Amino acid sequence: MNFSSRLRRIPFWSWVWFILGTLYFLLPLYATLDFSLQMERDVIGLKAYEKAFEDKDFIETFTYSNLLAIATIVMSIILIVPTAYWIRLRLPEARRIVEFLTLMPFVVPAIILVFGLIRIYSSSVMIPFTDIVLIPPLTNYKFGTNILVVAGYMVLAMPYMYRSVDTGMRTVDVLTLTEAAQSLGASWFTIITRIILPNIRAALLSGALLTFAIVVGEVTLASFLGIDAFGPYLFLLGQHRAYEPAALSFVSFILTWIAMGLIQLVTGGQGQTTGAH
Amino acid sequence: MAYLSISNVTKQFGDTVVVDNFNLDIEKGEFVSFLGPSGCGKTTTLRMVAGFEIPTSGKILLDGKDITDKAPNQRNVGMIFQSYALFPNMTVSQNIGFGLRVRKESEATIKQRVDEMVGLINLEKHANKYPYQLSGGQQQRVSLARALANRPQVLLLDEPLSALDAKIRVSLRAEIRAIQKSLGITAIFVTHDQEEALSISDRIVVMNVGEMEQVGTPFEIYNFPKTRFVANFVGSLNTSDAEVVDPAKGFVSVDGVKFTAAEGTENRKKGDKVKIAIRPERLSFASEHKKANVVDATIENITFLGSVVRIQVKIGNTKFNMDTFNNPFLELPRVGSKEQVTCSKEAVLVLDE
Ligand SMILES: Nc1ncnc2c1ncn2[C@@H]1O[C@H](COP(=O)(O)OP(=O)(O)OP(=O)(O)O)[C@@H](O)[C@H]1O
Ligand SMILES: [Mg+2]
Repeated sequence: MNFSSRLRRIPFWSWVWFILGTLYFLLPLYATLDFSLQMERDVIGLKAYEKAFEDKDFIETFTYSNLLAIATIVMSIILIVPTAYWIRLRLPEARRIVEFLTLMPFVVPAIILVFGLIRIYSSSVMIPFTDIVLIPPLTNYKFGTNILVVAGYMVLAMPYMYRSVDTGMRTVDVLTLTEAAQSLGASWFTIITRIILPNIRAALLSGALLTFAIVVGEVTLASFLGIDAFGPYLFLLGQHRAYEPAALSFVSFILTWIAMGLIQLVTGGQGQTTGAH
Repeated sequence: MAYLSISNVTKQFGDTVVVDNFNLDIEKGEFVSFLGPSGCGKTTTLRMVAGFEIPTSGKILLDGKDITDKAPNQRNVGMIFQSYALFPNMTVSQNIGFGLRVRKESEATIKQRVDEMVGLINLEKHANKYPYQLSGGQQQRVSLARALANRPQVLLLDEPLSALDAKIRVSLRAEIRAIQKSLGITAIFVTHDQEEALSISDRIVVMNVGEMEQVGTPFEIYNFPKTRFVANFVGSLNTSDAEVVDPAKGFVSVDGVKFTAAEGTENRKKGDKVKIAIRPERLSFASEHKKANVVDATIENITFLGSVVRIQVKIGNTKFNMDTFNNPFLELPRVGSKEQVTCSKEAVLVLDE
């Protein structure tokens, strides 16, 4: 069947909905772009973009948020890959419980998470009934706050990360590959790094990009923990300026699309390698 | 002392006994098959040798060392899976070299051994392909090479041919056997296909719901099955209810028709109910050559099976299948005609009811 006859088979109403849906997404995007280009009176130009990118705060907060995102992604992978792997391998009964837990960020709003974090970690955490300090007050210094932020972001990103990883593991026969590797003498570390991770790389990438999107745009956790991240910066900018936020929104749209394209590219490549004859 | 010794091994999952008091000694270089119906514990036994399951009780000794509780990656045992289990992210060469790399062999050794293995399985042209670019048979050969590259002490194969089509299955099993012989490697091969087990093995262990029914060479298993289960499971078989008439002389009666058996009646009494079993190829027409047993029969049905013609005859009230080699000059009797059918004393197996 060739492409045009396949197109013809799609019913009329499907086309209508498809076009309406596309317009729904594209019109605001177009409006944003149009607006962002009109910073100077009567001239279409990139002034708003220049201004936005020139801002020292922009560069600082954006870099900082990127670092937070990378830390979150790395820590999430270290936490979630072995967990999802172990559940598939040895604890299939625990699967539903863990899936439910990973969905908690959808049920409990970030504001509650951040207040919980502040309440517990703004004073020392003691071993119960003793004077031994287990964790010093984390909110009192920069590094401690960063740990809290990353931990919080790991929670927020968990639904996406866990699901991506778990789906990735479903496409390869994790159990048999593990046993094959074990009988060839491989240790757990070797199996995870040389067999499991490479075979779920597409899933990891999509999880990582989603995490990235969440962390870079996040406002609640960042403002309440008082860090100079990109989310709060964008929020403030939106309250005080008109054209620059539009420019940055458009840029972030484009970045997201590039990211999606990348996921498609990598996933497409892997879809091939997993299919056997 | 045997090379691989499985002694008194029992495996329970919860309350279910899946392998019950399994005892087997395997010599170095021997090819042993586990044969039995689905769910009889073949895979479980194999997995205990591989280290993926730990026996509930009993011991497994390999080359004199107790490996019962050793982790799979601490034993030098190669495993071949029905689903090939090649690493999708690695090429053929990388798959084969994986175990050597894990063992931190030098790059030169790895390269040399990988080349040797790729040659062994005749996949030189495909060494740089990924598993998804290979056919099932080729993938399974890679998996064989990958297991052999580590020079394992024992090679374990769990229904390695089940996912392949009939032609490849037959040629690959011959290839596996040839490679196993040339390397002198000790192997355990799990299958539920009796023809496969008979054609490939030095010895066969016939298993039934967790227990060993009989251990022997393919010749012994086929010709002298010790239990009714073995007789039925291996090869096709005519069975019929019978009654012992004269234990000393080996006389048994099937619906009043007398048969003489070479053995199996000595320890029974007159009037004991037994089963007799006769392989279809042991029966023939008495007109050609008379043997110890000659009985009257009615021709019921004739089926042409290619190299063999299967004739169904009725002896007393029981239907028996009789196989004769096809021969264009053979004169086949008419359906409904009465003929005399013969077999030797040894062909009549007396089994417990
Ligand atoms: N991990 C397990 N937990 C509980 N029961 C199990 C487990 N593994 C196997 N069993 C049970 O043990 C019995 C034997 O299983 P096994 O896989 O050894 O059979 P098999 O002879 O290899 O059969 P097949 O020819 O179908 O592969 C089966 O009834 C199976 O359900
Ligand atoms: Mg099995």
